Amino acid sequence: MKKLGVFVCWCGSNIASSVDVDQTVAGALKLDGVVHAENYMYMCSDPGQQKVKDAIQEKNLDGVVVACCSPSMHENTFRKAAGSVGLNPYLLEIANIREHCSWVHANNKPVATAKAISIIEGALDKVKQNLPLETITLDLTKRVCVVGGGIAGIMSALDLADAGYDVAIIEKEPAIGGHVSQISTTFPYFQNVPELLQKKIAEVEAHPRINLYLNAEVDELEGYVGNFKVTIQTKPAFVDTATCTNCGKCLDVCPVLVPDEFNRGLTKRGAIFRYNQSNESQLPVIMQGDCLHFSEEESGTGEKCSLCVDACTENAIDLSVIRFLQEELVGAIVMATGYDLYSPTNLPEYGGGQIPDVIDGLAFERLLDPKGPTAGKIFRPSDGQVPKIIVFIQCAGSRDPERHKAYCSRACCMYTAKQARLYKQQVGDGTAYISYIDIRSDSRDFEEFVQQGMEEENLVYVRGRVAKVFAEGSVLKVYTADTLSGRQLEIEADLVVLAMAMEPKNGVHELAKKMNVTIDGDGFFSEAHIKLYPVESTTKGVYLAGCGQSPKDITDTVSQALATAGKIQTMFSNDTLLADPLVAEVKEDVCSGCGICVDICPYGARVMDDFKRISAVNQAVCQGCGACIAACPNKACELINSTSRQFIRVIDDFAHKTQVI
Amino acid sequence: MGDVLNLNVNESVDRTIAAEPVIGPCAFGNLEELESVPLDRRVMVIGGGICGITAAIDLGNAGYQVVMVDRLPSIGGRMLQLSETFPTLDCAQCTLTPRTVETGQHPKVTLKMNCEVEKLDGGPGDFKVLIRQKITYVDWNKCTGCGTCIQKCPTKSAAMFERDAGLMTAIYTLSPQAVPNKPVIDADRCRYLTKGKCGVCAKVCPVGAIDYEQKESLFEVNVGAIIVATGFDVYDWKNKMPELGGGKIPDVIDGLTFERYLSASGPSAGAMVRPSDGVEPKEIVFIQCVGSRNPEYHKSYCSRVCCMYTAKHARLYKHKVRDGQVYIFYIDIRSTGKGYEQFIQQSVSEEGIIYIRGRAAKLYEENGKVMVQGADTLTGRKVEIAADLVVLAAALVPNEGALELAEILGLTCNKDGFFVEEDYKLSSIETERQGIYIAGCCQGIKDIADTSAQGSAAASKVQVFLSSIRRQKQNVV
Repeated sequence: MKKLGVFVCWCGSNIASSVDVDQTVAGALKLDGVVHAENYMYMCSDPGQQKVKDAIQEKNLDGVVVACCSPSMHENTFRKAAGSVGLNPYLLEIANIREHCSWVHANNKPVATAKAISIIEGALDKVKQNLPLETITLDLTKRVCVVGGGIAGIMSALDLADAGYDVAIIEKEPAIGGHVSQISTTFPYFQNVPELLQKKIAEVEAHPRINLYLNAEVDELEGYVGNFKVTIQTKPAFVDTATCTNCGKCLDVCPVLVPDEFNRGLTKRGAIFRYNQSNESQLPVIMQGDCLHFSEEESGTGEKCSLCVDACTENAIDLSVIRFLQEELVGAIVMATGYDLYSPTNLPEYGGGQIPDVIDGLAFERLLDPKGPTAGKIFRPSDGQVPKIIVFIQCAGSRDPERHKAYCSRACCMYTAKQARLYKQQVGDGTAYISYIDIRSDSRDFEEFVQQGMEEENLVYVRGRVAKVFAEGSVLKVYTADTLSGRQLEIEADLVVLAMAMEPKNGVHELAKKMNVTIDGDGFFSEAHIKLYPVESTTKGVYLAGCGQSPKDITDTVSQALATAGKIQTMFSNDTLLADPLVAEVKEDVCSGCGICVDICPYGARVMDDFKRISAVNQAVCQGCGACIAACPNKACELINSTSRQFIRVIDDFAHKTQVI
Repeated sequence: MGDVLNLNVNESVDRTIAAEPVIGPCAFGNLEELESVPLDRRVMVIGGGICGITAAIDLGNAGYQVVMVDRLPSIGGRMLQLSETFPTLDCAQCTLTPRTVETGQHPKVTLKMNCEVEKLDGGPGDFKVLIRQKITYVDWNKCTGCGTCIQKCPTKSAAMFERDAGLMTAIYTLSPQAVPNKPVIDADRCRYLTKGKCGVCAKVCPVGAIDYEQKESLFEVNVGAIIVATGFDVYDWKNKMPELGGGKIPDVIDGLTFERYLSASGPSAGAMVRPSDGVEPKEIVFIQCVGSRNPEYHKSYCSRVCCMYTAKHARLYKHKVRDGQVYIFYIDIRSTGKGYEQFIQQSVSEEGIIYIRGRAAKLYEENGKVMVQGADTLTGRKVEIAADLVVLAAALVPNEGALELAEILGLTCNKDGFFVEEDYKLSSIETERQGIYIAGCCQGIKDIADTSAQGSAAASKVQVFLSSIRRQKQNVV
């Protein structure tokens, strides 16, 4: 080298108001190797980029520094521009003179200008030592694994399968459908979505491209985008789906009685049970943890219960089946694990988990479901009476940063209004009180839905947080306040329904670790960018949809699910993937084979080469994070185009040139 | 290069189309690339905002040829007018321009700006869309985007992009970072086109791209699927809500106009000033739900994003005017997205923003201040505030022309003009017409995150639909 070009952006007034862009150009021209320097108002605009392209061609530049905003904005833009006129894109560096300079030295032009020139000098010195690189090509397996068989997983899988790709759905429960199977009808149009869901489930089950894993969880994930190996562990259901006729005799004989999770504890079930009793075609399964046969086996008391085996006339039950592992090779993964409701036991002041007539929103849905345990009739769990006064408490556990969840669970205002309206449609002489802080009915037709509820079903909205709920005989006393009238209220209710916060599914922390996906402080999966990349995780090849990313309603969940399907179809439209070549490499002469880097790498990109007895990098997996570079005690590891030598040079430039402020 | 027409000043220039324009080839740039692929690889995206852009990039990356049609001279939509976005307070331009640049440079995306959809024929998989290319008075085939004409244009008048808060030249681009970076002339504001005077742009253009004689033209595009992402506009509160000043009090503006004041590329270069006298406002009143949640007189629905952008405005104002005071009149605070609740709480606890629960009934001017009369329902008392500036979170409505477009495409609109989807829950982007999809705020007002997701969702449906056509042709299941 070197014939270097420097392009200084004004960024409107963002840079130009604090940095003297003309002096910066003059300063750059004095630097070693610089044959071209200019400034322009918006370098990222079409004419700005054209200037870079023209200079590269006219002056045969072999290295470029663009002094502008953060590289996270336009590094790609300028690299593409350089590449389009024949300059290797990796011989272009961004000098951040906005976030690192003009934005923090707004009142000191001389200092800011001098610093900008230093930053540019540093970038130039880095460019001088950069190697021209080619993007790495990766193989691509055009198959998808969807973790979670709720509405999000189902809708994503169907679009992908309809587009011609094989999909594996991994579902933890004995059946797909998720929480939408538990609800009665939806807001804002009182649609029978569960029926629509059944149709989708039937499509999934019949689809030649979809492989359904029930009672299954991810055991292990290896690999990287385009080349994942998912190991799936299936828990046995012990009932052979091929021979079982669904006669139900086994259900009658099981001596176990435990709360039924699907019905939110309103009913009991045996250890052998139908997971979703409203779905008649569902076959029974055995929950090993509840089954006497297995606990007796463990405790070693001779007799092992096998009443169901004996009752079954088809020999469909086999208690000797064990867990087994299977593998799926896929190119992309969708995390659609959904939510759980924050347990009411966390709210003892409301009698959560103690008072039988204090239930959560999903339990109330089970009461509303015509196929549910009460055939759609609303009864008090304690005594089966029809409640005449119900208090619905919104924000139970949400919007409470001091003790519970700081966030809003988004769908509760709407489903509470829906539930209250359905209650009033059923019990015309009943009263529904809804305790709220704000009513969040913001999507299209939601506001009208709530207003109709107030006008037609006479829902009574009380603005205030409920302080306490306790039982007095068969009556529930609800102590609250009405902040709009400034009065304390005591309501004697027959039933209290808590709109509990939505939280990520139980076990999400372990799953996130396995899948190498970031989660936030509340356990929700982190997206790459909340506005622009809402369905992509920070891990390439892993996409997010639904309540696992943050609480939302069915419409927005499905939009996200379809978006993941679209993104994956886009990825699969090529036969290979391109990866950034800015990865780690090993200096083989220096590496002592200590293996520290292998343990440190968060992506599994470092492996030991047993033959050479040194470390190696799987460059396709490496994300260039630099952890191994920092950890290596021998300096045997370097990041391509970001070597220690390069950075020492850059630091020298700053140390010798920049004024200390 | 442009003789000055000797027109009688009183005679207006007749710019109507004299006869039915001939359907010819596309005026600027050809559709060769689009036409080089089979129909099942061609998609039209109507609307170049963040929604259309997201869909176009997804589809372009998937190997589809996309033709993006927009009525404005450049893409970017409403986000171009924003200063920062909630909840991260990222600079809107910084997040948008990488996407607009990517779209403009994408080898598979063709931009057709200043265009409107005129007619639709054909059916799913084979749509024939007639596009009207509006008059730009600039030959984009010749224009290099040098910007000399804009620099020299002597006319500066109130412009729509700046919400009439700032001045734009008669020959203009929407922003210095516009994609494509080519100007158009606003015929209503151009001296030459209205009065026959001036003509400077034609004189200074180094490539002779100015064409005052340009006519509208029509061209046809044949595609397999269409995505409608036409976005939103602000409710006409000035005319419809006289109790709020009827547009006559200069210091009563709407949220989108306030965005322009906040923006570094806006009418005040980001300085916080009052429209009336350019003085820094020390007390601002924000009023939420203006025209929304008002079934009797205005819009029954909630406009969804206002609670968040109002809090954002309040915070950005406080960052600029440390000793300023903000009051926000609200009914409910709707902050349901990820990180939104915390954003609002921070506004209250860290920025000292005061929320008053109640509606503001009346605004009037007094002694250089805007008097706001409202109620505080939590104390049960009337409230009167003498504000320096009042910002209205006006209702957001479907963009102008949505109803006409619905008729052309054979889609349904609901009572408020939003396009109606096949199923609100399970498929908010499919319509009753196979092959035509809707996404973004034209289906219902939503924020950028949900709009992005819907854009990608529409791209998914298009891919599924067109790939099934391809597989049928090959007799593959």
